[in-house]
Amino acid sequence: MLKHKIVLTLAAMLICLASLAQTGEITPERKRAIDSLALEKVRDLGRYITIIGNKETPFSEGNRVIDRAVELFAEGSEIGVSSLFRTELQYFPVRRYFERLMALNYDKVSVQWYKVQYISDLELQPDGRYVGIITIFQRFEGTTAEGMTYSDVTKKDITVYVERKKTQISGREIEFWDVLLGDIRVKETKAL
Amino acid sequence: MTGYPTAFAYRIARSVWVGLFFFLLLPHLAFAQPVGDYTGDPSAFYAQTKQLNQFIRRFNGEEALGGNRFYPGNALYHDRNLRKGYLETLFDLSNPELTPSLRNSFTQQALDKPFFLDFHGGNWFAEVHATVLYQGKEEDITLFMKLEEEKVGSEWVFFDVYFAPFDKLFASPDPEGLQPAFLHPLSHELDFMNLSKIFRNQQYLESYAAREFRPDHFTLFLWEAKRKALTFKGVNEVKFHFFQMDGWYIEVSEFNREGRNRGWLISQALPLESGQSDLLTRFILRK
Repeated sequence: MLKHKIVLTLAAMLICLASLAQTGEITPERKRAIDSLALEKVRDLGRYITIIGNKETPFSEGNRVIDRAVELFAEGSEIGVSSLFRTELQYFPVRRYFERLMALNYDKVSVQWYKVQYISDLELQPDGRYVGIITIFQRFEGTTAEGMTYSDVTKKDITVYVERKKTQISGREIEFWDVLLGDIRVKETKAL
Repeated sequence: MTGYPTAFAYRIARSVWVGLFFFLLLPHLAFAQPVGDYTGDPSAFYAQTKQLNQFIRRFNGEEALGGNRFYPGNALYHDRNLRKGYLETLFDLSNPELTPSLRNSFTQQALDKPFFLDFHGGNWFAEVHATVLYQGKEEDITLFMKLEEEKVGSEWVFFDVYFAPFDKLFASPDPEGLQPAFLHPLSHELDFMNLSKIFRNQQYLESYAAREFRPDHFTLFLWEAKRKALTFKGVNEVKFHFFQMDGWYIEVSEFNREGRNRGWLISQALPLESGQSDLLTRFILRK
């Protein structure tokens, strides 16, 4: 059901963005459409992280969701993590990050996303793609079988690559804007 | 006497505006609930200047209080009162060096001229503090980076490096008893055969260099990295130096702390006289 909803949403946005992709310029209206698609991908990532972190998720299902989550990202993307006590970044390839999340020794994992976000302007990079950063805040809570709870609040700065692509639909060439996630900077932050 | 009604009217208008600023912010704070059942108050996340991009938007008055982007043509785009409200919150209020009079002086000039930060306007750069592994030891390194415009788009590039071990390598004054103390002025008549003597003690080669010689940390860094003597470990801290506003320098740093005065904020502001910006840049680059 969830997968069905995601596919429908993405298809609707693809059609919407295709109509806006007639020129290369990113107008404020097009920027808003791209922002929506990018945020939808970020929300997908959130859903996947919750499933991957949940101990009740069977191992094979967890690996399948990791594959889906990795598909959201551009190749070579990494996640850089720091804490309040260790400012130096630790880098993980995205797949490794998800595998570590799945292997966490918590009986129960809760990942909540604040409805606070900031989406940067899109900047053109030398390869012709646009890049932007979406900032979100997330609360993680893990409880062990013994009842010990660990929680943190992190600021996640998520890279978003936006690229104009072409596809064939019923023999017609349609241009559309595709969005892929890139490197993510995860910084533990003070909650209040 | 003629100025009194104007000042009074200004104070009234200012009070109304400040009230309006917080009034408009409130509905957005009311929506600030996390997905799920966590009931913590995330209003500080709204107030937090979350990216340098948002710092520039707020500085310039290009963002609504709810976070939506204003574009040219919007009635409040670059609005003076909106900017004034934002500018008062964009300083690190815990820094006693940023006195109310200094902040006011900076804000007034930014509003009166008016001045807007320009991401692609040059005259600003990033200072990146990182850790590297060098000769088996973890060392701090400072990379200086700037945004360079390309045929298509732009990219961040290195333009300088500061690395303390390189400083130590070249810091020693000419040692006493160095032999030879110099290459005598008729060395050329001997086809510089005495060069072989100075290379017998290579540790002090810079003693024979021209007065204007300054070790180039950037090239040394690239060389050591290329021959794998230096390994990059990770970034620790980033700050930005802006020299875009006439007569002013500002440093922008990120503050990860409690309260609403956090995120990317002005951590230093200095009024500059003519010629001081070059001097200050050299100081920042440790030249």
